[in-house]
Amino acid sequence: MLPNPGILKLDLAIRGAGLGDSLRARHELLHGRALRSPVAKSAKSIELVLPGDVLVSTPVGESFTNDSPYKLMQDADRFLLEYEGEPAEVRVVAPPSYYAKKTRSGIPMGRIGSSYGPYIAINPAKRCGFSERGTQCRFCDAATQGADRDEPIPVEDVIDTVRAAFADGNSEFVYLHIGYVDSDDAGVEFIEPYVRAIKRHFDTLVAVQLQPPRENRWIDYIYAIGVDAISYSVEIHDEKILESVCVGRAKQVGRPRYYDALRHAATIFPNGTVWSDLIVGLEPIESTLEGVDTLVEMGVLPVLSVFRPLSDTDLRDHPMPTTQDVAPVFAYLFERVKEAGINMNWVRDLSFAMTPFEARYFSDPNAIVPSGLGPLYRSKLGNLAVRNLSRLRRRLRVRQVNDSYGSSNL
Amino acid sequence: MSQSGFVVDTRSIWIILLQSGRQPMLLLLGVLIYLGVRTFVAPEDLDPAGHRALAVFALCVFYWVFDVLPLMITSILAIVLLPMTGVLPAKEAYGLFGNEAVFFILGAFILAAAMMKSGLSSRLALVILNRFGHDPVTLLRGIFALNATMSFFMSEHAVAAMTFPIIVEIIAALHLPPERRNYGKSLVLAMAWGSTIGGVATLLGGARAPLALGILRELTGDTYTFAEWAALNIPMTLSLSAAAWILLRTFFPTGDIDISKAEQAVQERLDKVGRMTLQERVIALVMIATITAWIVLGEHFGLASIALTAVVALFALRAVQWRDVEGYVNWGLILMYGGAISLGSALHSSGAAAWLADQTIASWASGPVTVILFIAVSSVALTEMMSNSAAVAILMPLSIAVTSQFGIDPRITAPLVAVPAGLSFMLPIGTPANAMAYSSGYLRVQDLVIPGLILHIVGLTIFNLMIWFYWPLLGLSP
Ligand code: SF4
Repeated sequence: MLPNPGILKLDLAIRGAGLGDSLRARHELLHGRALRSPVAKSAKSIELVLPGDVLVSTPVGESFTNDSPYKLMQDADRFLLEYEGEPAEVRVVAPPSYYAKKTRSGIPMGRIGSSYGPYIAINPAKRCGFSERGTQCRFCDAATQGADRDEPIPVEDVIDTVRAAFADGNSEFVYLHIGYVDSDDAGVEFIEPYVRAIKRHFDTLVAVQLQPPRENRWIDYIYAIGVDAISYSVEIHDEKILESVCVGRAKQVGRPRYYDALRHAATIFPNGTVWSDLIVGLEPIESTLEGVDTLVEMGVLPVLSVFRPLSDTDLRDHPMPTTQDVAPVFAYLFERVKEAGINMNWVRDLSFAMTPFEARYFSDPNAIVPSGLGPLYRSKLGNLAVRNLSRLRRRLRVRQVNDSYGSSNL
Repeated sequence: MSQSGFVVDTRSIWIILLQSGRQPMLLLLGVLIYLGVRTFVAPEDLDPAGHRALAVFALCVFYWVFDVLPLMITSILAIVLLPMTGVLPAKEAYGLFGNEAVFFILGAFILAAAMMKSGLSSRLALVILNRFGHDPVTLLRGIFALNATMSFFMSEHAVAAMTFPIIVEIIAALHLPPERRNYGKSLVLAMAWGSTIGGVATLLGGARAPLALGILRELTGDTYTFAEWAALNIPMTLSLSAAAWILLRTFFPTGDIDISKAEQAVQERLDKVGRMTLQERVIALVMIATITAWIVLGEHFGLASIALTAVVALFALRAVQWRDVEGYVNWGLILMYGGAISLGSALHSSGAAAWLADQTIASWASGPVTVILFIAVSSVALTEMMSNSAAVAILMPLSIAVTSQFGIDPRITAPLVAVPAGLSFMLPIGTPANAMAYSSGYLRVQDLVIPGLILHIVGLTIFNLMIWFYWPLLGLSP
């Protein structure tokens, strides 16, 4: 019998799946492009929807997937995942058709957006500032991937892509991410026109991932301009390991700044909309647990992804963790987030990482999410409510300061 | 949205919700008050028009006090409601907008705009500071006197807004060490207090006095000339200035400070403005002529006519252009005045003001002394709570009614209401000058509140002494 969907997601993400004969030639199912994340970073992967609507980006056709106990097969219109001789039905998310379209200025949309579950992920920037200084994260090859882009993507092209992705029907939210920008605002001003344009054209939620700005006022500002969820990802909690793996993050930003920025962001953004990625498998488990504690205590949602060595990075020979090694971390993650009362419904349905919501399967497979609103959040009505509540909250919380004396005390 | 022009309110969302629900709730409450007065208050000795005027007044007072709508919008509401409820015919209600006080204040705004836009007012400020600022005490005195005297001729708010950046620059140039911060405090307070105190001296210092005069004229036919008003109030301004100076020196003693850097800063600014332009000379001449005309010919031609003639002259001489003055004129205030005067007139002519005075002050006041004291104290108290123009709009009709009932000369009501309404020393929100002083970062709230409270008490005492001992000498007996 297949493991429960959470454990299955983790195991699939780590070990990948072999492909049955009927699927080997189905190249159109492969998601070639991937987001900057050690989990999703595989040249070839298939997006699967597991029982319980759990999404996972599953590596396929790699050398290590040959040893996987999982096999993905096709039976007429159905897709089956076989484990220990027992098949179970799963769904395959085909790469969206907009990838093949072009924007008004002729850029293939597949080079702009990548769809992961309900998100369309876009990095409109040129390249990560760390890689320009040779201090990029050693697990990341996004820097080299983006290096072919000399100019940022024009706002209009991003809008074309988002429109096409929404029209395809699978994407609902926009996730903008940029690397390091060496300025006080860390790229807030760069991302602002994209956020504003997206908000102007679509009724959607926008999540942004970037590096922490030097001053907290930029965090307030990015909320004020319409960003609904934010991430400053520290990736590695252990200070020494962070220094050796992510020189730029440690030196140009510094771990304390990540935590300070996250702490401040948690006071500005709604509960559960500030998150930080932590990579499981690059530091001792105890250190990851400490990282989870640190984040949870400040009201920040930890999102865990399991390290995978990518062939074109420095860490290609770093050993991969096993599912057994890391499973307790996910159980701990769910318990801690639940205890702290952080809303798990905002950051969910990530195919390339494990959210606390999915981590409930490690703690208690029948666990009910504290708010009990999970299904509602996924419904159309729930989405509509969430979008409007988010807008209302911003309207209430962000006040213009009228520094004109003219209007006072006539 | 600019990156600095906003704040993210991190208080509990319920508190924010409650607060943002405040305005609609208050709007509704105002309507209920209006309906309540119409339905449940049944004054036997008041005719129906008076009754309805009372309800409109209650609604406007409520909106003014709680800032439910911008002041001028409440005034517009008053003008709309008066004909709609049948208190005044539409022609009359809107006609009251044409009150002389409204046009006087419009003229005064345009003249002040011309002075500011041309740079004449800042030149004046810089020249005076350059002349007097050679040691810390004379510089401080210079700033106080400069703000006070300039507020004789233009709105105290405009004076404060104009001198504030110069003072901030002076303080920055002085690089005051922490133990000399008192000097910084006294400089910004000298600016705030000087302009506030100077602002009550003449009809030009603030918009309260013309409004009080407008209502007085509309309701009783009486008025004051420019010179009469100044004669009534300048002694009070001088005594209050002396008291403020003593307080400044007592609360914020300053040791020896080298102010050569400040002199240099002023000189640099002066160098930047260069020689006086022809435009400035023309404006200066027109201003001198206007003030002289207000003093000498005011009674004959009326203050508004002289002010507007000066405006025409400025345009005829091409000393100013319309787009220059447009932004400086506080159109909201002009709308506010029109509405307030209409409402005051409606209350008076319908008998509602007299009825209200009868039910309130007249029922317990024992004689002129208590009446005068009550009006002055109410004016001070209302000013701390709301805009001083709104305080004048509310108090004037009532005061005129009550003074008539006690056989007091109703002319006294204009200075009695308008002068205390201008005396706001205690809170940063009291007046824009206080807000600017506070925003300099040199003052803590207690630096404003404690000396401000003393100055308030001293001010009221001096004011009462003037009413009883000085005003009678000018023929104005309580
Ligand atoms: S910040 Fe690190 S992980 Fe992100 S793009 Fe730059 S180098 Fe890669």
